[in-house]
Amino acid sequence: MTMDVSAPDPAASTPGGTGKPELVLKSSEFRKGREGGWRELEGLVDRVERRGMHALSLDELQRLPILYRAALSSLSVARTIALDRNLLLYLESLALRAFLAVYGPRLSPREGLRAFFGRELPAAVRSARWHILIAALCLLVGTALGFVLAVQDEAWFSSLVPSGLAGGRGPSSTRDDLYRDEIFAPWPGPVESFGIFANVLFSHNTLVGIMTFGLGMAAGVPTVLLAAYQGLPLGAFLALHYHRGLTVDFLGWLAIHGTTELGALIMFAAGGLVIAEKLLFPGRHSRLENLAIHGRLAAQMAVGAVLMLFVAAILEGGFRQLVQSTPLRFAIGLTVGALWLAYFCFCGRRKSR
Amino acid sequence: MTSTYERTSQFLEGVRREQRQIITPEGVPVTVELADYGERLIALTIDLFFWLLLTLAIFIPIVLAIGTRGGLIAISIALFIGFLVRNLYFVYFELAWRGSTPGKRLVGLRVVDRSGGPLLPSAVVARNLTREIEMFIPLGVLLTWGSAADGSVDWENLAIAVWLLFFTALPFINRDRMRGGDLIAGTMVIALPKRVLLSDLVERTVKFSFTEQQLRAYGAFELQVLEELLRHPDTPDSVLVLNEVCNKIRHKIGWAAPIASADVVPFLREFYTAERAFLEREQLYGKARPDKHAPPTRTA
Repeated sequence: MTMDVSAPDPAASTPGGTGKPELVLKSSEFRKGREGGWRELEGLVDRVERRGMHALSLDELQRLPILYRAALSSLSVARTIALDRNLLLYLESLALRAFLAVYGPRLSPREGLRAFFGRELPAAVRSARWHILIAALCLLVGTALGFVLAVQDEAWFSSLVPSGLAGGRGPSSTRDDLYRDEIFAPWPGPVESFGIFANVLFSHNTLVGIMTFGLGMAAGVPTVLLAAYQGLPLGAFLALHYHRGLTVDFLGWLAIHGTTELGALIMFAAGGLVIAEKLLFPGRHSRLENLAIHGRLAAQMAVGAVLMLFVAAILEGGFRQLVQSTPLRFAIGLTVGALWLAYFCFCGRRKSR
Repeated sequence: MTSTYERTSQFLEGVRREQRQIITPEGVPVTVELADYGERLIALTIDLFFWLLLTLAIFIPIVLAIGTRGGLIAISIALFIGFLVRNLYFVYFELAWRGSTPGKRLVGLRVVDRSGGPLLPSAVVARNLTREIEMFIPLGVLLTWGSAADGSVDWENLAIAVWLLFFTALPFINRDRMRGGDLIAGTMVIALPKRVLLSDLVERTVKFSFTEQQLRAYGAFELQVLEELLRHPDTPDSVLVLNEVCNKIRHKIGWAAPIASADVVPFLREFYTAERAFLEREQLYGKARPDKHAPPTRTA
C-alpha cells in the first residue's frame, strides 16, 4: 500500500532500502489544511468567553457559526483518521467551547428578566390553573377545619396555633386586648416595621413557601399537607375573633396583606404539585426528562411567589398598622388582589403564541 | 477511538473523568466531562466568599446610615440583604456569563443544558432558587441544630434537618452528579478545560526506517503514551524515562543496532511517526488496533 505523496521532500533519501516512500501522514496533511480555521475560531471563542458576544464585530459574528461547523466536521473526520492525542483532545474541547458560544443563552439579563415577568411567569401560572385550584382547596379545607375545631372549643386554639405565631393571643385574650394590641395596634415606626417585622415575615414565609414547593419532589404529599396545615391557624384565629365579635375587623386586618400572602402560599403549593404530578405521571418521557421539561414551569411559579411574598411583607409589616381603618384595609387588600389576578390572567397573552 | 485517549489519560494522570455525550443540533456528538465534586465545592466556596463581600459592602453603609440602635435590626437586615444578594448573584452571572459564575469561571466549570439545547433564563432561575432548600435552609436549621430556646433538644427541628439533608446529598446519589436544582432545570455542570494545540510531532526527514513487522508491535494506546512522553518538557528525569522507553522499544521490535544517546529523541520521534502512519492507515481500512494485546489483524 503506497501513501499519498503530496509534498515531495528534497531530502527524500530512504536509508535502510525498504523502498518505502517519504512518510506523509493523512492526519498531518489534514491538520495543516485546517489549522488556520481552528485557530481563528479559538480566538473568537476566547473573546466571547471573556467579554460576551458584544466583543465580536459584525464580520466575526458571521464567521463564528461557519467556523464552528467546520470545526465540528474536522472533529468527526479526526476521530476516524487521526491518532494524534493532542489534536483530538484539542478538537473535542474547541468544538464544545464553540458549541456553547454559538448555542449559549441569547438574552441579556435585562431582556431575560423582561421576558420572564412579561411573558413566561403569567403563562406558567395560567398553565397550572388546576394545580392552583387544588392548592387553594387544600388551604381552604385547612382553614375550615381550624375554624370548626376552635369555634366549638377554644382549647383547640393553643394546639392549632404555634406559640410563636400566637404572640400572646389565645383563649384568654379579651375583645379589648385583640382590638387594641392587634387589629388597631399603633404603628411602631419605619425602622421597626420595615426593618424587623417585614423582614422576619418575609424570611419566615419564604422558608415555609419554598419548603412547600420543594417537597413537591416527595410526590406532593407533604405539599398538600403543608398547604392545609397553613390554613389551620388561620381558621383558629378566625374562630377566636368570631367569638369576640371582631370578625369583620379581623378580616380587614388580614385582607390588606392576606390576598397577596395567601396567594403566594397557594402558588408555592401549586408549583410543588406541578413537580409532583410530572414525577408521578411522566407520560411518554422518562421521569427525569419530564421533570426537566416541566420543572422550569414550577420554578417560575416559585419565583413569582417569592416576589408576592416580598410585596406582602411590605404591606403587612410596613403599612398594615399605618392604615387604621377597616374599609380602607379591605379596599387596599382587594385592589392588590385584583391586580395580581389581572396580571396573571392577562399579561403577555398576545405575545405567547 | 474515544476510549483510547480516555484510557491514555487514565494511565498517565491516574484519574478518569466521567464523560457524557451531548448531541449538537448539527448531529455531532461532543464529549463533555462532568465536573468533580471537589471542583464544584471550590467554585461554590469562591462564590460564597464573593457573596459575603457583596453583602457586607451593601450592609455596612446601610447600618451606618440607620445607626446601630439594636442588634436585632442589624441581624434581620443582614439576613435579608444576604438572601437578596445570593439569589441575584447566581442568577445574574449564570445569565450574563453564559452559565458560569466568578467561582465557576475560575475553576473552569459551566452549566449546560442536559439535552444539548440552549441554556434558558427559566432554567437558570430554577436551578438557583432551589439552592435555598438544598443548601441554605438546611444550613440554617443545622446551625441551630435542634437546640430549642430552653436548651432541650428540638426533635421537630432535628427531623426537618435530616429530611433536608437528603436534598443536599442528591448530587452524590445520581449518575450525573445533579443537584435538585439541576434535576428541575434539566441542566448539568461540566468541566471545560482549555486545551492548547501543540505542534505536530511528525518528522519529515527520516533517518531510521522500520519494517511493517516491527510496526505491528504496538497499538494506539502505546502510540499515545509515547506521544505524551515526547511532549513532556526536557528534564533530567524525562531523559532517563525516554532512554528506558527507547531500550524497551528496541528490544520489542528487535532493533539490533545501538543508538547513541544524542539519537534517542530523534529515534523515538521517527518511530512515533512511522507507527502513527502505519496505525492510521490500518484504521482507515477498518483494522484499528487499540493496543499491543489486540490480536494482529492480518499477517503480511
